[in-house]
Amino acid sequence: MMRDLAKLRASVVKEARILLRDRQALILFFTMPVLFVLILSLSLRDVFGDRPGATFPVLVVAEDQAEVGRGIVATFRANPHIRLALAERASEAQARQWLIDGHYRFVVLVPAGATLQAKRRLGEIMAEVPADLRLEQPVAVRVLADPSLRSDYRKVLEGSLDLALHGIEMKLGREQLEQTLRVTQGAHFTGLPDMDQGRVFQPVHGETVTKRGGGPTPTSVQQNAPAWTLLAMFFLTVPLSVAFIKEREQGSLFRLQTMTVPAWVVLGGKAVPYFVINQIQMISVLAVSVHVLPLLGGDPLGLGNAPLALLLMGASASLAAIGFGIAVAVYARTTEQAAGFSSATVMIMGALGGILVPKAVMLPIMQELAVISPLSWGLDGFLDIFVRGGGVDDVLPEALALLAFSAFCHAIAIQRYRRRV
Amino acid sequence: MTSTASPSPVPQSDVRAGTPAIELKGLSKSFPGGRAPALDGVDLSVPRGGIFGILGPNGAGKTTLMSILGGLILPSSGSVRIDGHDVLTEARHIRHILGLVPQEPAIYPTLTARENLDFFGRMQGLSGAYLESRIQACLELVEMTGEADQRVEQFSGGYKRRLNMVIGLMHEPEILILDEPTVAIDPHSRALIHHRLRELNAAGISILISTHYMEEAEMLCDEIAIIDHGRLMVQGLVPDLLAQRRDEAIELQFFGEPGAGLARALETIPGVQRAEQAGCRVRVFSDRPEQVIAPIMQRVQAEAPTLRSLVFGRASLEQVFLSLTGDRGAPR
Repeated sequence: MMRDLAKLRASVVKEARILLRDRQALILFFTMPVLFVLILSLSLRDVFGDRPGATFPVLVVAEDQAEVGRGIVATFRANPHIRLALAERASEAQARQWLIDGHYRFVVLVPAGATLQAKRRLGEIMAEVPADLRLEQPVAVRVLADPSLRSDYRKVLEGSLDLALHGIEMKLGREQLEQTLRVTQGAHFTGLPDMDQGRVFQPVHGETVTKRGGGPTPTSVQQNAPAWTLLAMFFLTVPLSVAFIKEREQGSLFRLQTMTVPAWVVLGGKAVPYFVINQIQMISVLAVSVHVLPLLGGDPLGLGNAPLALLLMGASASLAAIGFGIAVAVYARTTEQAAGFSSATVMIMGALGGILVPKAVMLPIMQELAVISPLSWGLDGFLDIFVRGGGVDDVLPEALALLAFSAFCHAIAIQRYRRRV
Repeated sequence: MTSTASPSPVPQSDVRAGTPAIELKGLSKSFPGGRAPALDGVDLSVPRGGIFGILGPNGAGKTTLMSILGGLILPSSGSVRIDGHDVLTEARHIRHILGLVPQEPAIYPTLTARENLDFFGRMQGLSGAYLESRIQACLELVEMTGEADQRVEQFSGGYKRRLNMVIGLMHEPEILILDEPTVAIDPHSRALIHHRLRELNAAGISILISTHYMEEAEMLCDEIAIIDHGRLMVQGLVPDLLAQRRDEAIELQFFGEPGAGLARALETIPGVQRAEQAGCRVRVFSDRPEQVIAPIMQRVQAEAPTLRSLVFGRASLEQVFLSLTGDRGAPR
């Protein structure tokens, strides 16, 4: 028993020495969790309500400068959760483009002459003109929304617009009633008209703007299915890099080097099986999201209508992940280093790239930082297909970025692998 | 050994007959941060058709030399030619004629013996029926046909080393380099490896073997080189080296360490020039060894340690080795 304890102590001391001498691993052990906590806390700050921060860029195109335009602007301005931008004149096409380009997440279009139209409509209602004889149509305040905007946030925004319109309706109605009473001195008073019989404004009904016109409203599965597929793909870098280093430790890699087996054969031999695993990962996640999720009461995943684009994204994301894993394997000295570094880095890239936390709820600065994460490129590509109905042309920038990342990783890995001291 | 396992005789053209199998010129290697060079101006010529041994204590530079021969590390200066071809610029040519057997079994533990042979055979460019026949021949060569489909991780150290060696023979090389091929294995596997190496050599394969087993070198090699501190200490045919050292010393080995007084007592014998003790071993130097043996035995009996052996007149490589390298890294 005592002898075993002595052995245990000796092995603890040995392990501690090895760890203390592995400076890179130590740095990893301590800096990675810190970075991780920082990024997640920043990203989730608004979700946990630490402080009200500006989250959504909202545009109000107020072509009407009177009560209706002013009232809507005032309502949105009072909301601390949005960053309000105003435009006095913009075509609907222009507004749609701004939305597609990601400048705004939510756009309200107040048509020119809205106040005048509302007053005339109100006058007809107050004068009890029968509905089929009224000349004025209800005022249409249009709403355009980014499909990746979370549906709960979108409902809140639509609700506050609805409330604003009700307020304006009430105000205009009271003014007109006051005027009528003043003129008629209360004579011929027949009671207030039933406002519900014909509204002044059309009910607020937001339109989802996608690259190819209308598309389905985003659901959580549309965010989660590609997000977790990507994370799983990138997590394969851990076993990939560990396997590579084991091969080096066993000497078989050196044997291959003495046989002058080219680097691409050695590295490619690793890449291909992992590529296949990645594709199986993607197919299984998508299959579950399409077929199993609805059975459990969730929204089914719509795969869009561009299978080629889907294949392209799956292949590019996998190659990026494999390139990253091989680069880590070639540069890391020990399996512990490789496993620690790759898993921590993938988590950080996932947190940054909108995998763990949707980009929509991140602080604006974090949303801009997301662009450095390859997982973010992958997610954007998949969202283009699932949510915005995009095709190969639409996902090409993301796919090319992933392929370039993969090529860069492979290049530095091959260069290092070939290096002899 | 069956007929299929016999390595085919290697044709050697007249032009190449005079070319050394391996030739090192002024070979030096320094590692960043290393205090002394790992190899320091080594000139060595390994002739074709023999078994050549490289001896040296641990840290002498053997593994560095083997790594340079394998193209794993670059020399700081000097040149290495294998079969007349430069290892740096003509690596692809050399690959086909050179078989390398690393010291540690460089095999995949979760694959079977056959799968390992298949993989490395394919990596050497073999395929089809030839690959199949080579796998079979190699398995027979190391008597592992019965274990062909077992996972390597289930093998003993001896079987791993057999497999490790035979992977280097898959492509039927003309020159075989082995780095300490029999370290830490059972006597049966060691005997088998020795036997096969002699057969391969008889079939025309030039062999370079590094070892620190003196008996192995003495038994196996035609010619040896001893390196220490990165320098070549001596190179020569084994009989020549042994002849140079003949009658140098009478060596006494004891069970347990004799008292310090024994060496002093032996030095008082007329005709004895000096006596040195190292552990359980005492070496007595004399120019008239035949005359001093009887008095030495008397003294030994008087001092009463138990004598294990007395060797005289037959120099061993071990003596050559020790006299050149001191007692550093005393060989087994």
